[in-house]
Amino acid sequence: MSDHVDRRTFLKRAGAAGAGAVIASRLPKPGSASAQDATVKPDAAAKRGGTLRYGVHTAPAHFDVHQSGTVANIGAQSPMYDYLIRRDPRDGQTIIPDLAQRWEISPDGKKYTFHLRHGVKFHDGADFTAEDVKATYDRIVSPPTGVVIPRTPLFSAVSDIVVLDPHRIEFRLKEARPRAFMLGSFASGWNIIVRKKTLEENGGNLRQVMAYPGTGPFRHVSRRDKEVWIMERNPSYWNKGLPYVDKLEVYHMPPFSPELGSAILTGKLDYARLIDPVTWRKAKETPGMTAAEFNQSVIQAVFMNNKKPPLNDPRVRRAMHLALDRHALVDVVKDVAPMSVGGFVYPFHELSTPASELVSKRLGYQKDTRPAVQEAKKLMAEAGHAGGLKNLTFLVRDVATFKLWAVAIQAMLKETLNIEMNLKTVQISQWFEDAAAGNFDLGISAIVSALMDPSDYFTAWYGKDGPQNYSNWTNPAFHDLARQIEREVDDGRRKTLVRQAEEILEKDPPLLPVSYEKIYDAWHNRVRGQNPSTFFGIYDVVRWDNVWLAST
Amino acid sequence: MRKYLLRRAVFGVSTLVGVSLIIFVVLRILPGDPLVAMFGLEGFAKLAPGDRARIMEDLGLSDPLPVQYARWMRDIASGSLGRSFFRGDKVSELILHRGPLSAEIALVSMLISWLVGLPVGIVSAFRPNSLPDNVARSASILFLAIPGFWLGMLIVLATLFWFNYKAPLVVVHLWQDPWANLQLVVGPAVVLGLGQGAYIARMSRSCLLEVILEDYVRTARAKGLKEAFVVLRHALPNALLPVVTLSGILMGFVLGGSVAVEQAFGVPGLGRALVVAVIERDTIVVQNLVLLYAVIFVVINVAVDLSYAWLDPRIRYR
Repeated sequence: MSDHVDRRTFLKRAGAAGAGAVIASRLPKPGSASAQDATVKPDAAAKRGGTLRYGVHTAPAHFDVHQSGTVANIGAQSPMYDYLIRRDPRDGQTIIPDLAQRWEISPDGKKYTFHLRHGVKFHDGADFTAEDVKATYDRIVSPPTGVVIPRTPLFSAVSDIVVLDPHRIEFRLKEARPRAFMLGSFASGWNIIVRKKTLEENGGNLRQVMAYPGTGPFRHVSRRDKEVWIMERNPSYWNKGLPYVDKLEVYHMPPFSPELGSAILTGKLDYARLIDPVTWRKAKETPGMTAAEFNQSVIQAVFMNNKKPPLNDPRVRRAMHLALDRHALVDVVKDVAPMSVGGFVYPFHELSTPASELVSKRLGYQKDTRPAVQEAKKLMAEAGHAGGLKNLTFLVRDVATFKLWAVAIQAMLKETLNIEMNLKTVQISQWFEDAAAGNFDLGISAIVSALMDPSDYFTAWYGKDGPQNYSNWTNPAFHDLARQIEREVDDGRRKTLVRQAEEILEKDPPLLPVSYEKIYDAWHNRVRGQNPSTFFGIYDVVRWDNVWLAST
Repeated sequence: MRKYLLRRAVFGVSTLVGVSLIIFVVLRILPGDPLVAMFGLEGFAKLAPGDRARIMEDLGLSDPLPVQYARWMRDIASGSLGRSFFRGDKVSELILHRGPLSAEIALVSMLISWLVGLPVGIVSAFRPNSLPDNVARSASILFLAIPGFWLGMLIVLATLFWFNYKAPLVVVHLWQDPWANLQLVVGPAVVLGLGQGAYIARMSRSCLLEVILEDYVRTARAKGLKEAFVVLRHALPNALLPVVTLSGILMGFVLGGSVAVEQAFGVPGLGRALVVAVIERDTIVVQNLVLLYAVIFVVINVAVDLSYAWLDPRIRYR
């Protein structure tokens, strides 16, 4: 090998090194949650063709994905749309390009500039431009009258959305937000890009517009209400070579139902989501099938009406919090729905106290409940309720898990703290009416978040007047801390603040965490390219563009 | 006859108007909010009171009740029956798509109930307190006692775990694929049919026990007629009237029972659509389906009344 370096070679190498440095500066650090060079590429080994039959949830109640809060919409409609950026379908975590092929964040964190792909077309043949992104996000950030978009608070810092040119758009923020939070918000599976013209033609409300055009890998073919939604491969998809399957059939089936379970076990479906634990275990031991579990963005919790004494006393609430045997509660529902033990912050999030530490060290989460119960009794005595409480109304949603838990929690609180409760079991819509009207002492339900980042749900779940703060809980110290967490852009300092927030929540519980939901998926091994084990929730990776069938 | 028919028609229509009023009022005074189903937990929680009011107005649920009722009656008169206020699907299309499947289940179950119930009843009546009678009576009590949806669940689980079998997932009409259609219909029809067959068997047994003691049956036997001829030609027609009446009533039970049984089998018929609509509080769908069931019940009862004259020539309508 020659040591000689001529001028041309030097310039080439210097140029390559310079370009490499520029690219490297844009690439994420190891372990970072975004990767700008990682657009999903077609796999040469993947087989093409066939029909993928996917079973998930009941039919959507309307068609406006932005306005929805259920997987009924996401599960069926997402394959027809793209996002600005997305979670990598290979791990469900890393943020990668989608309709924006790259992005820049200004050093002060107040400008997010997205460079959009050229040549992308909507299913009706129209060109995709930055105007469509602006129309989409204008609607999400400031929904028009009569339109409600649950993800609006994620973009509360956005002050302006500016189209720089047809393929460049800039989001300007009033103040910086943590990058992971902002990128996670843009990558949320709810934020599908819709056409500006579609929004204009429908007055900004798509609730009853069935198949509005997207840019996604699949196109609408037909829909039978509450039965099946059929889509076909989009031959003009911008990501050439994707998707692999020719046809996608999304079957609407109630979650955790025997119907869904039997459909996947008998091979009537190729892939099923939200299956019950019995079916999941059966699938796991069935040759030719795979079963996976992953974390869901839902906490199951008991709310305590802070407007009613003595539940406005933090000592009483902490006593109840400590009296729950959470391992037993997870066990009670093990054949109905998969759950795991956790506290006030997602136990699997990097900012929270790890679940292993909770279970081994923290009162209220340990398997041996005696120390926690002893402390709980002491707190009740200090609060003047050593003899217990009587005639509390426990509002229970008419759902199998909640009914099982309600009886168990009733027994636990009676046995440990002599708290007597009357169960009031009601339908879901009635539960929300009663909860909003404050017609309860305790109430059990589930609440969801769009992101795993605490800044999303610290406002919604625990914020003063937060929409899911059914306990009507307030704690000025916590609210101040939550505001700091929302604005803190340094990960290390943010982690410290979150841990401080956890301490406040432990001492002054806004709710009683019962458990965190898990999702059970199962599929036949002919389905390739999908393994959700590291996914968070069922809302972000639902497009099926990289999934193929080994035998069709 | 004409007078009788007119009287029955007036009675039937007034019954249906009453039913429609009850359904309409009950659905609107029951607690619960359809917006929960529409927006999901997260979305519903973030609805401001003003947004809720506006959306309820868009759905037509804020109008005065008489206006809403008049609108429903107008939709019925136009034949469209209105639209699901969630997805905007026409209720008439839902009924046309799923109705044939539920109708097949009802008719086949009725057929099964007669095919099983009548022979069992005849054997029991003509051999009272014999072994076949005791077995038949025990079996009929068993099927009376077992809830249809539970038996349905057992059948679904047994076919799944023993034969790895599951019926088709979507509606398949008889004219599209008879074999797939049969797979959808047979399970619910057998469960509902066996339940009704138990009633038919018990009723036909008790009616036949009365009839076979009549003089004309004794005379028929004395003439030396064959036993089968005595049963089928002389005894049975006269014992059938109460059984036919019962079948009409049972048809109502089939309609009601099909809701739970379709759910158990996962058959996408009208019963299942009703369950989902109730859960979603899709008022427009619920009120139309309940009214449809009421119409069918009234029509069947009139048909049963009219069949009396055919079965018993002594009966005349005035």
